[in-house]
Amino acid sequence: MFLRKSIIATSGLFLCLFLIVHLSANFILLLPEEVAREAYNGYSTTLRESPVIKVVAYALYASIFFHVLYGIIVTYKNRKAKPHRYVVNRSQENSTWTSQNMGLIGMFILLFIVVHLANFWARVKLGIGAPVGLDSAGNVDVYEVTYSLFQNIYFVLFYTLLMIPLGWHLDHGLKSAFKTLGFYHKKGLAVVSKISLIYATIMSVGFGIIPLVVYFK
Amino acid sequence: MKVTFQIWRQDGPTDKGRLKDYEVDGLTEDMSFLEALDHLNELLVLKNEKVIAYEYDCREGICGQCGIFINGRAHGPHANMTTCQLHMRSFNDGDTIVVEPWRAQAFPVVKDLIVDRSALDRIIEQGGYISAKTGTAPEANSIPIGKDVADKAMDAAACIGCGACVATCKNASAALFTSAKINHLNSLPQGKPEQHRRVLEMTKQMAYEGFGHCTFTGACEVECPEGISIVNIAELNARILKARLLG
Repeated sequence: MFLRKSIIATSGLFLCLFLIVHLSANFILLLPEEVAREAYNGYSTTLRESPVIKVVAYALYASIFFHVLYGIIVTYKNRKAKPHRYVVNRSQENSTWTSQNMGLIGMFILLFIVVHLANFWARVKLGIGAPVGLDSAGNVDVYEVTYSLFQNIYFVLFYTLLMIPLGWHLDHGLKSAFKTLGFYHKKGLAVVSKISLIYATIMSVGFGIIPLVVYFK
Repeated sequence: MKVTFQIWRQDGPTDKGRLKDYEVDGLTEDMSFLEALDHLNELLVLKNEKVIAYEYDCREGICGQCGIFINGRAHGPHANMTTCQLHMRSFNDGDTIVVEPWRAQAFPVVKDLIVDRSALDRIIEQGGYISAKTGTAPEANSIPIGKDVADKAMDAAACIGCGACVATCKNASAALFTSAKINHLNSLPQGKPEQHRRVLEMTKQMAYEGFGHCTFTGACEVECPEGISIVNIAELNARILKARLLG
């Protein structure tokens, strides 16, 4: 039991760290186009060519895989532990909706990741779909991939709206991970709880506004 | 005051069970919830119907027997309270009150509102004790224990084993119960010699009984009549890690 939850917590924390780096880089997209294109493409080329990032990328794939796998196993086992539901259950009076529905929320995020990887990872790294051109500096023009994707209002809405469940998931997930891994300092946990909310809000709003800004640029 | 009870009736473990409506008049606000059920049972006896089976013992909030799920909450609408301490003044005239047994794979229904909570006893059997010589009470100051440690141990020891944590948890996790029992003993010098074995054996039994994983919804600490903090579960996780590495 402890091992399963620890795997979910550890992989989740790693993904939380990844999101910080990912969002920081994505803020480049908020800059004016002439600066943003060069900076963003330069940055993504550096990442693709770095051997360190290659290792980190595999850690990332593994984290997503084990987070989802053990999330499913734990959810399945938890449902088996409670085969009969209450006719009336006012769980909203003793806990948050988010904490009661992490599996469901997680499925939305997984859907997002699949679509997101198909849009970027598959095109840029696997070369599936329309070929990606080079910019004036000779770097792969990932900026163009992003820019053209966010000219489509449906993708803008998809990318923006799905950042709401992401925020919920991160808020509960971050503070819960600390407890799962055995951090039990009472005042410390109160701080962790606040940090989780702040972190989740920054991630959710930060990732959520980028498609809108690019669309209206 | 008049209310409609919708009460779970189930003849035995293999019966499917169903909610049955009972309109009950002649209640007063000062009656405890259990007295209202007693009143209903008296009416059922007069009508030659089968009485509703439910558990209680002390009726003063310390024994942990009276676990019932009332209107979607363990032990009724208030936080940190046992069913026996709930009074009819918490409801309004004309209310419909849905009354269900605790739900968990590890708590099979015995009859109506009574569930078998012996799974919790079997967790205790795996280490919820200290192997010390019994006899007359030792001199109180022979083992010095700091007040902060004593307070923490007492807070955890307050658990009455009612099972509300399991009942309210969407995963039917017994983590709050088990962590309270372990932290109580492991934080005191008397519990130290067996601390790692206690952690490993009791949590192993917890999994074996079919309780779910803790996902920190926090519902348990709200429904716990003794207000046992969920931080106990985080501390248990630290103890598990330590026991796995050192035990």
